[in-house]
Amino acid sequence: MFIKLKTMFFMLAAITILAGCTSTKVEDNKNTDELVYATVKDINDMNPHLYPGSMSAQGMVYESLVENTEEGIKPLLAESWEISEDGTEYTFHLRKDVTFHDGEHFNAKAVKQNFEAVQNNKEKHAWIKLSDKIKSIEEVDEYTVKLTLFEVYYPTLVELSMTRPYVFLSPNDFKNGETKDGVNGFHGTGPFKLTEHKVDQYAVFEANEDYWAGVPKIKKITAKVLPAGETTLLAMQKGEVNFAFTDDRGADSINIEGINQLVQAGDYQLTRSKQMNTKMIVANSGKSESPASEKNVREAIWYAIDRETISRDIFEGAETVANSLFSINVNYADVSLKERNYDIARAKEILENAGWTISSQDSVREKGGKKLEMKLYYDSNSPSQKAQAEFIQGSLKEVGINLELNGEESTSIANRRATGDYDLLFNQTWGLAYDPQSTVAAFTSEASYLHATKGIPDAEQFYKKIEETLTTIDEEKRKLLYEDILKTVHDEAIFIPITNGNVTVVAPKNLKGISFKQTQYELPFEKMYFE
Amino acid sequence: MGAYIARRILITLPLLLAVSFLTFLLISFSPVEPAEVILRAQEVPLITDELIERTNEELGLDKPFIIQYFHWLISSLQLDFGNSYVKNEPVWNLVGPAFINTFKLTVASTIVIIIFSVLIGVICAVNERKMVDRWMRTILFVFTATPSYLLGAVCIYLFSVKLDLLPTSGMEGVESYILPVLVTSLGYIGIYFRNIRSAMINNLNEDYVLYGRASGLSEYTITWHILRNSLQVAVSIFCMAIPLILGGTVVIENVFAWPGLGSLSIGAILNRDFPIIQAYVLIVAVAFVIFNMISDILNAMLNPRIRNDS
Repeated sequence: MFIKLKTMFFMLAAITILAGCTSTKVEDNKNTDELVYATVKDINDMNPHLYPGSMSAQGMVYESLVENTEEGIKPLLAESWEISEDGTEYTFHLRKDVTFHDGEHFNAKAVKQNFEAVQNNKEKHAWIKLSDKIKSIEEVDEYTVKLTLFEVYYPTLVELSMTRPYVFLSPNDFKNGETKDGVNGFHGTGPFKLTEHKVDQYAVFEANEDYWAGVPKIKKITAKVLPAGETTLLAMQKGEVNFAFTDDRGADSINIEGINQLVQAGDYQLTRSKQMNTKMIVANSGKSESPASEKNVREAIWYAIDRETISRDIFEGAETVANSLFSINVNYADVSLKERNYDIARAKEILENAGWTISSQDSVREKGGKKLEMKLYYDSNSPSQKAQAEFIQGSLKEVGINLELNGEESTSIANRRATGDYDLLFNQTWGLAYDPQSTVAAFTSEASYLHATKGIPDAEQFYKKIEETLTTIDEEKRKLLYEDILKTVHDEAIFIPITNGNVTVVAPKNLKGISFKQTQYELPFEKMYFE
Repeated sequence: MGAYIARRILITLPLLLAVSFLTFLLISFSPVEPAEVILRAQEVPLITDELIERTNEELGLDKPFIIQYFHWLISSLQLDFGNSYVKNEPVWNLVGPAFINTFKLTVASTIVIIIFSVLIGVICAVNERKMVDRWMRTILFVFTATPSYLLGAVCIYLFSVKLDLLPTSGMEGVESYILPVLVTSLGYIGIYFRNIRSAMINNLNEDYVLYGRASGLSEYTITWHILRNSLQVAVSIFCMAIPLILGGTVVIENVFAWPGLGSLSIGAILNRDFPIIQAYVLIVAVAFVIFNMISDILNAMLNPRIRNDS
């Protein structure tokens, strides 16, 4: 036995030494116009009028009429547009120099066909309220289209700028004039063409040599499927993969330690976008039998969570502390809200005043014979959520709240959210470009936050205000409405903010022009180039 | 012998029916509405009641369970397994290539496993309790006990990153087989060589060995005879290794980004991509039944007693 142990030890030592003493060799990036990025999942069905496809891949291939930028809505496939006095008619003047990847000309007819294909599958686009407001789309002349709405809808241009569904696929790819039952090809107008796709292995995008805004300098982008984060890290060290980013799929495919290691080795650079979304705990105010339905309890939880420590120790500073549902760089969200900083004493005081008392022999508070116990659900595939859950469990114990943790699949958590079967769960806002309108609209949706917001006093009135924000033409009024809505959910402490997330890019050191869009789901690859 | 094989094949059919029915039944126990799960897997951002209704109608999910099963059964008998809910492609276009990829990995690994298990088993048996035997057992014990994701990562680190000899992952040529096959095999060799070793050691004490030695046969010839007798034990084990590896490559495929059945099935299970789950379960069930049969037949051929008994 002794001999065996000694042998084993010797072997382990040998492996370690062998691993340590050979020199690190990272392949030089010989191809200075090629990017290979790691993705956890396949790009899937690239039909831009449906949702299974990778948004970052669709963003390279397809384009919308207008673009959402930091300075507001800018022209893209539409050179200019006019909005009628009453706000229900949008006339778009299209660019005349655009062709689809299959050579087909981009014109008013193609726009009309694409819009109609989307509208014919309206049920699938219920999230984008515009789909419900479109009355008709007409060709005025070859390069002019007129979009008519049933009523005024202020986020129209913002929603037209989104990655999907109002983007354009060559009509030659349609099946029987439709796209809802699949398409015959994936020809967009974007800066990159999809030239090869091996399911669950890789997808190749090549620069569109006829791109209307100038040929991209990066000639080839390969999306390589690497399901395991450890392999991604090793493949990047070797140089087989030279690009990684938090995309819409697996989020953090490489952990923070791995990223730091790559950057320190000197071959890679790390770029982070500004704050893009808010990670939060949603408290179910509508579940009357749960302590979470009580405002005081929700507020106490908010005070009891040390967000500074979470940001510093769990995210190593990669995510910043969030103080409200939306960070102030989100439209309409720059409103003054009550500050609730980490304050254990305050949390205890609130609970005490609300009648939740603690007896000397027990560590959990009670009121009327009911214990202060709740369940927190987290995504079992997210190591950071698990770490946060455990940390929060400890903090809440200190104030006398017993938190039970449940890790589940993301589909199961979405299901709990839809049925209201939870006390607390982890979630995040939809992100820039979708905030605040899509996230706020989700307050009224059964599948999203209806249960969470049901417990707000006079909830019906509250939901009416949300409806009004979307349909009023009075910008001042909308501002006030949003202020009111955001104040209400903040005061009610329904969305307990934790951190602000961002898009992280790990790229070769000599890659320049890395920038971000107004959405966390896409990257402007066409602006990147090697030095 | 022919009757024996025919009987085994006949038993297979009801078994497959039972397996497919059970899978159907288990999935139908899921408390979540299937249409909703499918739509969520298609990443539809907002699911409304109308959409659920429409999806139910389109996929026939509103029909009673037993009718759904018969529909599936009838079309699958015509080799139509439907479309994947998530990828919107015929199931065979996805499961077929994935199966072939995993099968290639399985066959390569099985060959390596057989060669090395027998080789190491013989070496250890002949040198029982000597230094070589102890070393071999220790080393292989360590490999078998190491989780394959760790072993995989260490191998990639050593052979791909540090020594720059092999690709880290993917399936792009002969060299990309080396690491996955190595990691798959190491775990199994450590188990199977012990079967060979102990069978040989048992045989060493048999009378025929003593007679052989007494009549002056060379050690080489004696070892050969022992090995032949010991292999009978191993045949069924090796046969069952194939379906075991086929159904158990999830971790390896994940680490090496191998586009096989394991990764496909895990994704399908998480998304409740029902047509793919059904096809996957059937394939693995068929593989188990077939290889179990082959192993029985081989044993019957090698050992007439089994044939006569049955």
